[in-house]
Amino acid sequence: MTGLRPWLVRRLLLGAGQTVAVVLLVFALTEALPGDAAVALAGDQPDPGRIAAIRDTMHLDRPAHERLAAWAAGLLHGDLGTSLASGRPVSSYLADGFGPTLLLAALTLLLLVPLAVGLGVLAARNEGRLVDRLISSVTLGVYAVPEFAFGVLLVTVFALRLGWLPPTAVGYGDDLLAHPAALVLPVVVLLSRPVCSLARLVRAGMIEALASPYVAQARRYGIPGARLRYAHALPNALAPAAQQLARTVDWLLCGVIVVEALFVIPGLGTVLMNAVAERDVPVIQGLAVVFGCTAVVLNLGADLATYRLVPRTAVAA
Amino acid sequence: MNPRTVPGPRRFTLALLILTVPLLLALLGPLFAGEPGPRAASFTLGGGHWAGTDFVGRDVWRQVLLGGRPVVLTALAATALAYAVALPLGLIAALTHRRWLEELVMRPFDVLLAVPSLLFLLLVAAVLTPDAGGLALLVALVNIPDAVRAVRAATAEAAARPAVEALRMQGETWWRTAIGYVGRSALRTLAADAGVRLAGVLYLVATAAFLGIGAEPDAADWAVMVDRNRTGMFLQPWAVVLPAVLIMALTMGTNLLFDAALTRPDRGPGQDRRGRRPAADRGDQGTAPDRRDRGPAPDRVPQPGRTPAPPSPTDGPPRAPGRDEKSNPCI
Amino acid sequence: MHLNEPDAAEVQDLRVEIDGRALVDGVSLRVPPGRITALIGASGSGKTTTGLALLHEHPPGARVTGEIRVPDGLVGYVPQHPATVLNPARPVAALLQDIARTQIRHLPRRDRRTAIRQRILRALGQARLQDGETLLNRYPHQLSGGQQQRVVLAQALLTGAGILVADEPTTGQDAVTKQQIADQLAAVAREGIAVLLLSHDLEVVRALADHVHVLRAGRIVESGTPEQLWSRPQHSWTRALLTSAAATEPSEGPPVQNGTDETASGPAAATTVLRVRSLIARHGKSTVLRTPELLLPPGCSAIMGRSGSGKTTLARCLAGLHRSYDGEILLDGVALPRSLRDRTREQLAAVQYVFQDARAAFDEHRPVLDQVARSAIRLRAAPRTEALAEAERTLSTLGLPGDLVRRRPTELSGGELQRAALARALLARPRVLICDEITSGQDAVTRRSLRTLLAGLVRTHPELSLVLITHDRDTATLATRIAVLDDGHVVEQGPADELVTAPQHPLTAALLQPAPDVGVMSGMRG
Repeated sequence: MTGLRPWLVRRLLLGAGQTVAVVLLVFALTEALPGDAAVALAGDQPDPGRIAAIRDTMHLDRPAHERLAAWAAGLLHGDLGTSLASGRPVSSYLADGFGPTLLLAALTLLLLVPLAVGLGVLAARNEGRLVDRLISSVTLGVYAVPEFAFGVLLVTVFALRLGWLPPTAVGYGDDLLAHPAALVLPVVVLLSRPVCSLARLVRAGMIEALASPYVAQARRYGIPGARLRYAHALPNALAPAAQQLARTVDWLLCGVIVVEALFVIPGLGTVLMNAVAERDVPVIQGLAVVFGCTAVVLNLGADLATYRLVPRTAVAA
Repeated sequence: MNPRTVPGPRRFTLALLILTVPLLLALLGPLFAGEPGPRAASFTLGGGHWAGTDFVGRDVWRQVLLGGRPVVLTALAATALAYAVALPLGLIAALTHRRWLEELVMRPFDVLLAVPSLLFLLLVAAVLTPDAGGLALLVALVNIPDAVRAVRAATAEAAARPAVEALRMQGETWWRTAIGYVGRSALRTLAADAGVRLAGVLYLVATAAFLGIGAEPDAADWAVMVDRNRTGMFLQPWAVVLPAVLIMALTMGTNLLFDAALTRPDRGPGQDRRGRRPAADRGDQGTAPDRRDRGPAPDRVPQPGRTPAPPSPTDGPPRAPGRDEKSNPCI
Repeated sequence: MHLNEPDAAEVQDLRVEIDGRALVDGVSLRVPPGRITALIGASGSGKTTTGLALLHEHPPGARVTGEIRVPDGLVGYVPQHPATVLNPARPVAALLQDIARTQIRHLPRRDRRTAIRQRILRALGQARLQDGETLLNRYPHQLSGGQQQRVVLAQALLTGAGILVADEPTTGQDAVTKQQIADQLAAVAREGIAVLLLSHDLEVVRALADHVHVLRAGRIVESGTPEQLWSRPQHSWTRALLTSAAATEPSEGPPVQNGTDETASGPAAATTVLRVRSLIARHGKSTVLRTPELLLPPGCSAIMGRSGSGKTTLARCLAGLHRSYDGEILLDGVALPRSLRDRTREQLAAVQYVFQDARAAFDEHRPVLDQVARSAIRLRAAPRTEALAEAERTLSTLGLPGDLVRRRPTELSGGELQRAALARALLARPRVLICDEITSGQDAVTRRSLRTLLAGLVRTHPELSLVLITHDRDTATLATRIAVLDDGHVVEQGPADELVTAPQHPLTAALLQPAPDVGVMSGMRG
């Protein structure tokens, strides 16, 4: 694979650049605080003791570049700082919240690909017929709906009216796996937008592939239908969808914040929201860096997988 | 082999139907809101409030009438702002021959793509507490990288055609080439992208408001209502369901509308996006586009495009030559 | 392989109708095994529809009547661009394996793998694909055009089809490739397979086919052996079609009037218009063209070469469309700026360029007349009404009437747009007019009319230096001076009649040879 190495190097450089950008951005935002940062951060409780504590924890008396250097150095050692609100290290917050978030994300990703491909292929096979029109319209519609609205409506119907599922994960938070019923709605909501987007891409790709000359050639040489679809058409349909999958990973990171807020799941999203509410800057900074870096790494991984899947077409001289 | 499905007028009317109610409520609602009534007990039904009361005892229906405007106006402002910046930048990046200029415009945006949008909003909100105008600015900022990429992709395709070189050989002015030809050719794709972007911006504005960014906790805003009235869902679901349904209809309708409006079969001449050609024409794959088996017809026949129509605009990222596409507003 | 069938495929009274219009109107023909049957005709005559009907494929919504009989029901298909029928996302072996798999179902499981491999290798051998085994694991884009075509042929042969439909296999190729493809088809026929050849390329048809049917407007107007048709055509349409390809060489024209300009090979030729000096052109990092010295005097010059030889790059450098090069291009002894944007109006007007794809070179939103007139307005500062009048005049001398040119480009055919493009360039009153492959990919009738046009141009504009970039022999022989490029180097240049009659370089000989060798072909078939 001759083109891989330079591409990989470029991509890694880009990823490194993006990580640096995240770190700088996060840091720069705290610099943007008007006036005395410690006072601003103390917010509703401007008692001198608290202000002094904040100033101390965040080393606000030192110049900006020193703080940046110290913080960056700390990042490299895994020290993400100390919370302003509780005094605990930020990494302990991360450890607490990591489990539920990982569970949600993993479940969603596992279900996403089979569902999306299945729907897309189903729609493409029945192009123009009712099934296809239905799938197309529904995916187009649901794709646009914010998770919180969709989630709230699902909760109203399935939890409040029908009582099939618990409305939130309150009480199950510590041991979600033992109570799968509490996971159903959150995962459905998390799946909603990515499934729609991916299914549409798979559908479009399949339709194009099924109408292509190379599939026609296979068809006229007697290749049976199922093999045509899955061995000849689908590999071509997957390429644009695979690229989208990389973006989907980003979506999950955001969707998780909303879903955890809605269903009261004690994951990283909840930690972040609490920190925002309390203006606990070190926690926010630490979480933002973790989220950002995770996004970069996952994108890189997905792009690598896509590169392998999409044979580069030779460029005409 | 079936010809490509093109959404018919039915989907357009469906989209209009879904969109009309929330849009009218959003834009005209405040005219009918009237004076705020006396505060009643929270989360009660009935008693003159046909949708009940909210978490501070206000009339839910009145809040609904007032709550659409912030969402819609902020979204429109953010979209317009994003394009105001993206159009010139994208055009420059697409039309320039100087690689360094193109890199200069595009690379910073590649880097900015790393920060997930919602995260960015949360970070800023933690520190600066923006109001609605600030939110519009932030959402526009977040969308600019993707919009520039979309503009560049749409115009780059047109800019790479021999027609542009032919225009240059005629000594045509930059302006006429860029706007008159490239811009006009790219218009359709750009309009589609604008529609998608609007839907995405609506998403982001609503989600941000739900999370408490850009709006006061007691503001009359549909998304805020969904957030704040959640605690009383058991007692009084309407305070949550009404705004949620309206947001859902608004976002759904916008997306369906733009998709239906922009994937109509082309009637005008010389458009790129046409239905696929029938199977018999597969045989004639000469480079001259007019060699087709069309029976005893004169040599001069209207030419359908040879390219199959690309997927609907809302299917995901425009196929830009670069690698990073962010179709989702969250990112 | 397969038994010697008494009959291969047969079509009887085939009628294909769409919307009441008949694409094919009562065609009957036989395609016997071991022979090459050709269908010729202009665009829209129904060739492709008939060919595809043998594959049992019809345009959607068509009403089909008549009988199509194919023994075994297996038909192979080789399209004009083989790359289109190769799956870009799967290795080349994928379809071959699937085809083989359908054939070996009766074998026990453990023998299947070897049986599949054997069959594939045999088919690749029949298609004369070298190193077939190593190529199997590659993707289509990693194969050359010739290899792709052999793979597609191998697919057809693997199915064991008794009949092969070859759709325009040689159209748009240069002479060397045409010979290779013709050899291949002849070899296939020798194996006993019936070949149905659909083609515009009358030279190849004449050399290869055993039996020819002439189609017009969905009907067969005449049939016979090539000798019969070419020497004694009965039908008027056959006569018209065949004489358009006959070598009424317009190259008789230019030498007569431009005889004085032949001595351009000496240095400091006072009549030299364009001169290329030490040109080294690059695409990104790689060098694609090295031209130490090239002279293009007034009159008609041709630059020939195979695909990828650098002739288009040279043309674009001359026109200012390709700027990454070292060296000089001199117009009347003055160096031209590398890029279009740096050239003055006069310089722009002096060197004009006509693109290969005329349709893509026009603005689809504006009427053709306006676009043609724009050259005069921008490059000669002519007032609008004058420019429009001149444009209309020029267009009508090129055969495009006033009402047609007021329409948008989508309403004109490819050939008409190519003429409009010529007019657009001519309106700048250029000294040098570069035509890049403008006859490629057109059907025979259009090609002939374009060639006549170009010959006429040379006569009516004696001060114009016409530079034809082409791989087509007939177009090149319009010129008085030919330069041949191979792989970025000029391998030979000189007066046209010298190169045609006594070529020094083998590539020149190959490109300028009249047709695939008729003698060799007919001698080898039994």
